Order: sequence, then structure tokens, then C-alpha cells
Amino acid sequence: MAGHDHSELTKGGAHPHHVLPQGMIFLIAGGLFAGMAATIGAAFMIPEPLHSNTFFMQSLALAIAIFKACLVVYFYMGVKFGTRLVKIFAYGGFIWFFTLFIMMADYVSRPLEPVPGWETVPSSALPRNTVEDPE
Amino acid sequence: MSATLIDNATAEQPRNDRNYLNADHTLKSWLLTVDHKRIGILYLIAVTIFFFIGAVAAAMIRYELTSPHGILLSSEVYNKTFSAHGIYMVFQFLVVAIPAVLGNFLIPLMIGARDMAFPRLNLLSWYMFMTGGLLITLSFILGGVDAGWTFYVPLSTLSETQISLCLVGIFITGFSSIFTAVNFIATIHKMRAPGMTWYRLPLYIWSHYSTAIVILLGTPVVAITLFLVVVERGFGFGIFSPELGGDPVLFQHLFWFYSHPAVYIMILPAFGVISEIITCFSRRPIFGYKFIAYSSLAIAFLGFLVWGHHMFLSSQSVLQGLIFSIITWILAVPSAIKVFNWTTTMYKGSIHFSTPMLYALGFMGLFLIGGLTGLHLASIDTDVHLTGTYFIVAHFHYVMVGGTIMGYLGGIHFWFPKMFGRTYSEMWGRISAMIVFVGFNLTFFPQFIVGYLGMPRRYHYYYFAPEWQFYHILSTAGSTVLGIGFLLPGIYLTYAIFKGKKAGPNPWGAKGLEWEQAGSPPITENFEKPVLVLEDPYNYNPEEDSKMYEHEVESADMLGGRK
Amino acid sequence: MSGHAHAQGDGPEVYFQYEDIDQQQESYVVGMWAFLMTEVMFFGALFLIYTLYRWKFHDTFFFAHEQLNWKMGGLNTAVLLFSSVMVAFAVHFAQKGKKTAQLICLGMTLMCAFGFLVIKTFEYGAKGDHKLYPNYTFEYGAHDKDHKVESWWDDNLPAFMHIEKKEQHGDPKNAKLFYSIYFTMTGLHGLHVVIGIIAITSLMVLIMIKSPLITDYVPTELVGLYWHFVDLVWIFLYPLFYLIPR
Repeated sequence: MAGHDHSELTKGGAHPHHVLPQGMIFLIAGGLFAGMAATIGAAFMIPEPLHSNTFFMQSLALAIAIFKACLVVYFYMGVKFGTRLVKIFAYGGFIWFFTLFIMMADYVSRPLEPVPGWETVPSSALPRNTVEDPE
Repeated sequence: MSATLIDNATAEQPRNDRNYLNADHTLKSWLLTVDHKRIGILYLIAVTIFFFIGAVAAAMIRYELTSPHGILLSSEVYNKTFSAHGIYMVFQFLVVAIPAVLGNFLIPLMIGARDMAFPRLNLLSWYMFMTGGLLITLSFILGGVDAGWTFYVPLSTLSETQISLCLVGIFITGFSSIFTAVNFIATIHKMRAPGMTWYRLPLYIWSHYSTAIVILLGTPVVAITLFLVVVERGFGFGIFSPELGGDPVLFQHLFWFYSHPAVYIMILPAFGVISEIITCFSRRPIFGYKFIAYSSLAIAFLGFLVWGHHMFLSSQSVLQGLIFSIITWILAVPSAIKVFNWTTTMYKGSIHFSTPMLYALGFMGLFLIGGLTGLHLASIDTDVHLTGTYFIVAHFHYVMVGGTIMGYLGGIHFWFPKMFGRTYSEMWGRISAMIVFVGFNLTFFPQFIVGYLGMPRRYHYYYFAPEWQFYHILSTAGSTVLGIGFLLPGIYLTYAIFKGKKAGPNPWGAKGLEWEQAGSPPITENFEKPVLVLEDPYNYNPEEDSKMYEHEVESADMLGGRK
Repeated sequence: MSGHAHAQGDGPEVYFQYEDIDQQQESYVVGMWAFLMTEVMFFGALFLIYTLYRWKFHDTFFFAHEQLNWKMGGLNTAVLLFSSVMVAFAVHFAQKGKKTAQLICLGMTLMCAFGFLVIKTFEYGAKGDHKLYPNYTFEYGAHDKDHKVESWWDDNLPAFMHIEKKEQHGDPKNAKLFYSIYFTMTGLHGLHVVIGIIAITSLMVLIMIKSPLITDYVPTELVGLYWHFVDLVWIFLYPLFYLIPR
């Protein structure tokens, strides 16, 4: 192989298209650890009445988790610098995950039924021969 | 394509040419191969064996049902028999048959690649498939499984049969198909030959791509669900069992989240096969290429949003049932688009009734019946009457057997010359295609009627309604015919592998890289020369090609041939 | 492998099915992402199960979660985050072609992974002492704690969000459900960590013996993607199990 060919080759892709710089890795690491501290801090230090607001607290915790996840996926996993194809697969997977939650619609809409269901008759979760009549 | 017609020099291939079959003859070279074509053949052998096991179970079921009181099996054994039939047929045959056999063999050939993107992963997935199959077989040897292929909780957690072992087997098989799908995705995305743009891909590739997407997104869900059942049985974790605090309907949700799309894993590759066969034997370009291509993707994605129609009679809320019912009706549209496009493709074509075409036409008729009866089941009110009866059994057999197996057999007959470099007896091919069609309808059409009358599925007697015996005997008679129809290809194709007439590289005069640029059988690297694609797929011309193929001449005298 | 590959100068080996190194590298990355998509759905089903039962039995889940040690969980989070950073550095050095630095980073990752498992073992052991394994030995309330349950918000929730109130410790059956999900999810995550350990170890060995299988940075990147995914799952598991708000 001539030297000329070799340089052509390396330009063609023997080396990666994008290298995440060290400073960036440190920066993201800082973000991740800050996120972790924020999660724990939020769980214990947010004052009442917000602290006993489950929906607020849970949303906050999940928001921080999603933020951390985005940092990892975008930068460490290189989606930000990836080809369009990689982007489609990465986003597609995480978006498709939410179709599973269509199942929750079932459980949420069951109380709308005229007939008592599994959740309104606690005893129906017992073995069948011990089920009591829900009056 | 006149060069491949019989009257113009039948490019006789010298038999000592090297190809993937004679590259090496040792057993080791087969078991450690990374050649996608050899792996396809390994899968072919494997699924044929599993199909045989499932078919024996089916025969036992049919024999049992000839009498209202049952004649052969006890209730427990009957439960295990229909479970074996379902488990082998669904997990070890239907889900893998077309993608793993024909898909593995043809995808690199059709897109102009030398092999799959990950050949070793491909081999690994075959070994995982075999491991899964052996574990399932072991579970049946050790006493069997009686929870049906659906493994509904709490039956499957309370049952004292070999369910855990069987589920582990299915789990491993599931990961085998995930690896196959990863391979398909990477191959179709990255390995296409220069000039092979997305709209130049054969529709077969589009449908396999959609299938791979469904496998990737659906299979892990059922894998974890079945895993949880194993954990529940093994350690008493109570995620689904009501006794332990869980919700059994959640199992059904998660199970059907995969298992409804799994229906499309089975049928979409068959769609691809039919698209190829219909165009080739009508000698016309496919009508509505993009519609068929995108309807595959539409089916793949919409197919994920309809699982609830299996659960209208569980405690799923009526509101959600309504939504699922509506989406199911919408899902009928892309399937119908395909059927209309195939029909229009044949219009004014120069139709050759060769064996693959007979299977394809049979597919269209049977899939139509299967699909339309599906709409009865997609409506909540009729479903309440029909669910859990033989109507549903007949419906999904029309789709699975009449769809997938017809597509599979059609594909095997179509690409047989490519796979083995030999031609089979066209006469026997046509006869057995007809036998399968007749036997199939005789088997399953009476089941629609008896199901409508109220015969429940999974019952092994019906002494309470002995008048149903007539339909059951019809059905059993039909299944015998169907069995002969499946045995015949096994015999004459096996004969043809060793003794058949040699085939040219393109016996059908078909378009596509695998016919035009690869030998029969192809060499290990698939193509002698680098492939460059310059034209659209399916540029057939009905007037130019109204002559007979080399394949048809043999049987022309016997059956009248064409004209 | 030499039979199946054709070398291109001094650059990395290209397997025979690929045209050039670009195609090969992109195929591997796309394949890995397709697999990760599967993994997302794999854990996704478990997250759905968690969401459902958490929503159904919120109070019990809250009481049950107090038996978990959030400090240990937090320590594990830190360990995993650190290992993820190390993997990012390993990929960075692999791309730069610095073998020694890459090996050191991978070694650190490996140590973090083992550390994670050790901490996890202590946690699981503690659960066993408290009779919290969700099998026949399960005995909820073996370790009593006194909880004050009242909050401003409970009276102000919209009616449909009201959740059935149980006594101080919640329903033992549902608490068992919590521990079932906890052990399933963290156990499967732990299994992924073990698979990651195997992957990283084999990668390091292959690099050290200068195996022809590792000719460029792509294997490191693939292992890195997998490890980041393991970290990603834990990022969600930690707040969802250890820090359940009231």
C-alpha cells in the first residue's frame, strides 16, 4: 500500500467521524452528578406542602431522570453526532416505549363502567373460592 | 428476458460449477457455516421438523373430535395436545418460517450483498432457535404443557405441568428471532448494492423490513412477560397471580402486545412472497408499488395498536375495547390495499398458472376469507358471541395456514430452483397445490359453521350437541386431505433436490437480482461480478413474455399448459 | 478470520461482506441501536407494570419503599454514573488510538461494575434479614416503623385521584407486589451488569492479546453503548424505587 492510498483510507473512515472531546465528557459528567444530587436533594429538602404533593414530587424526580437520560443518550451514546439512521432508531425506541402505556388507559377507564371491576371489588383479588359477594 | 425462455438457448449450467452447496461437504462446514444461504437451509430443515411435530398434534386433535364423546385422548392429554400444536406451530414454525428460511436465503441476494451484515450472529440465532426448540420438546417429553400457547395466568401459574421449562424455551426462541431481526435491519439499511435505492427494492424486502421492526419492538415484551411467569412459578413473586396480589388481565395485555403483532410477523413476509410471485407470473409490473410498500409499514405500526381486540371478554374496559375495535377496522385498510393491488397487477397480465402462482392465488382467496371474518371478531358485539368458539379457530387458521403456509409453500416452490439448482416436477407441484387448497377449505370452513353454532374451542367432546359431529367429520376428512397436500411437496421436493432436472439461473424469467445476476444455486459470495442496479424492480412486459418457461414444458402435455 | 476478511492497507480489517470500513462500522452501530431498541421495550414492559401497581397501591408502595436503603441506592447511582463516564473516556481514547489509557478506563469501569454488584449484594442480604424476599418467607412488618400519615395535599386531590387508604404499613399483599417488582427489575438490571462485566472483560482481553477481532474503536463503542444503556436504566430505577414521594 502506498502512503498516498493509506491517507485516503484514513480520511475515508478508519477514524471516527466525531470524537467527543475530553472537556465535554467532564462537563456531561458534572451534569449527571448534579442531577443525581438534585434528585436526592429534592426528595428530602423540598418543603411542605409541595413535599406531600405526590404528582409534583414524582414529576420532578422523573424530569431530572429524563434530563440525565438525555445527557447520556445525546452525548455519551453519541446520538447527537450520529447519522440520521442512528437518530431514527434511538428516538424510535424511546418513543415506541410509550405505546405500552396505552394499557394504562384501560385501568383508568374501568371505573367509568357500570359494572364493578377488579379494582372496585378488592376481594376479587383473592383466590376464587374465597371471593366474597360485593354486596 | 428472452434469453431465459425455452426456445432461446437454455443456458445449461455445468454441474461441476462451484456453488454454496458444493463448496464443502463436511457436516462441520454446515454446522459452523456463516453463509446466509446455508443458514437458510439449516432453518428449512429445522422448521420442517417442528412443523411435522405440530402437524402430528393437529392430527390427534382432529381424530379425537370425530366423536362427540372423544375417542382417543383423556382431557389432560387433549389439553397437552392442543398446547403442543399451538406452541410448535406458532413459536417454532409460523413466526420463523418465512423470515428465517426464505428471508435469510434471499435478502442479501435481493439487495445485492455478499452476506448478511452479521453472519456469525445469524448462526448464533439458529443455534438459539434450536436450543429453544429442544427445551420445548424436552418439556413435552417430561410431561407436557397444558396451558395452551397463550399461557394465560392464573392457569399457567397454577398448572403443575412443565410450563417453566417450556417458557424458557420460548424465551430463547424469542431472542433468536430478535437477533435475526437485528441482522435484517442492519443488512437492509447498510448492505444494499450501489444503485439499489429504497424504491428499487423488491417488495419482499419492504415486507421483511416491516417484519423485523415488529419483531424488535414486540418480542422483548412477551419475553419479559413469560419470564415473569417463570419467576412467579419458581419463586412465588406475585406480579400476575391474583392470589399474590397481581392482575391477571395485565398478563393478557402484555402477552397480546406482542402476540397480536406476531400475527403480522407471520403474515407480512407472506405478503412479500406473494408480491414477488404475482408479478412474475402475471408478467406485469406490480401495480401501486409505493402503496404496497407503505402499507407494509402501516400494518407493522398499526398492528401494535390493536391488541385489545383479543380481550373484549376480559375485564378490559368497554371504552378501551371500543377504541381497539375501531383501530382494528382501520387496520383492515392497508391489508385490503395489498389485495386490490395484487388483483390489479394481474389485470391484463399474461398469467401463467405455475405452481407458485397457484399457491399465490390460493393465498389471496383464503386470506380474503380470513381477513373478512376477522372483521366479525373485531366488532365487540359479534365478538361476544363468537369469541372462544371454533369460529375464531377457523378465522386464524384461514389467516395463518391459508396465509402464511400458502405463502411459505409458494415461496419455497418459487425459489426452489434458486436454492438447490434443480427443478421439481411441475405436474406434482400443481396437483399438490390444488390438494392443499381443497383440503384446507374442507378442514376449516365447517369450523366456521360449527363455531357459529357455538362449539367452544379447546373442548375435546361435545356430547351436549351431537349434531355437530357432521361438521367435525368433514373437518377431519379435510385435514387428512390437507395432510396429504403437505406430504406431497415433502416427497417430490426432496426427490428434486437430488434427482431433479438442472435449472438455469432464471427458470421463471423473473426479474430481480437473485434471478438475473446470481447463479442457481448461487456461489458463496452470491455474485460473480459487482452488482450495480440501474432499473426499477418488476419491469416485466406482458406482450414480450407470453411464452412458456422452461419449467412448464415438462407438464405442458399433461395439463394442457398455457393455450 | 483472515479467510473471511480482506485487509485495506494498515487500516482496520473489513469483513468480506462489506464494501468498505465505513459501511462496516455503520452497520455495527445501527445493529447495536436496533438491539438497544429491543432492550428499551424489554425494560419498558417492567416500567409499565411498575407504573400500574404504583398507581393502584401508591400508599403501600410508599411504606414498602421505606425499607429500601436510599443511601446504598444513591451510592450505587454514583458508582454507575462514574463507570459511565469512564466508558465515555474509554471510547474517546479508543477513537484516538490510545490503547493504554483505554485499558485503564475500561479497568475502572470493570471495578465500578463489581462495586455495584457488591453493594447490591449487601442490599439484597439486608432484605433477606428483614424477611422481605417476595416468596413464601415474606413477612411484611417484621421490622416495624412508625409513620405519621397526614398531609395537606390528601384533602385537596381531585376525587378521581383518591387512592384507597390502608393502615400505616399498607397491605402486606401489595407490599409483596412492590418487592416482587423491585427484585425483578433490579435483578434483571443486575443481570445486565453481569453481562456488561463479561463484555468488558472479553473486550479488554482481546485488546491485550492484540486479537485480530479488535482492529478499530467500534467494538469499544458498542460495549460503551450497552454500558450506557445499563446506566440509563438505573437512572430511572433509582428515583422510582428508592425515593418514592408520599
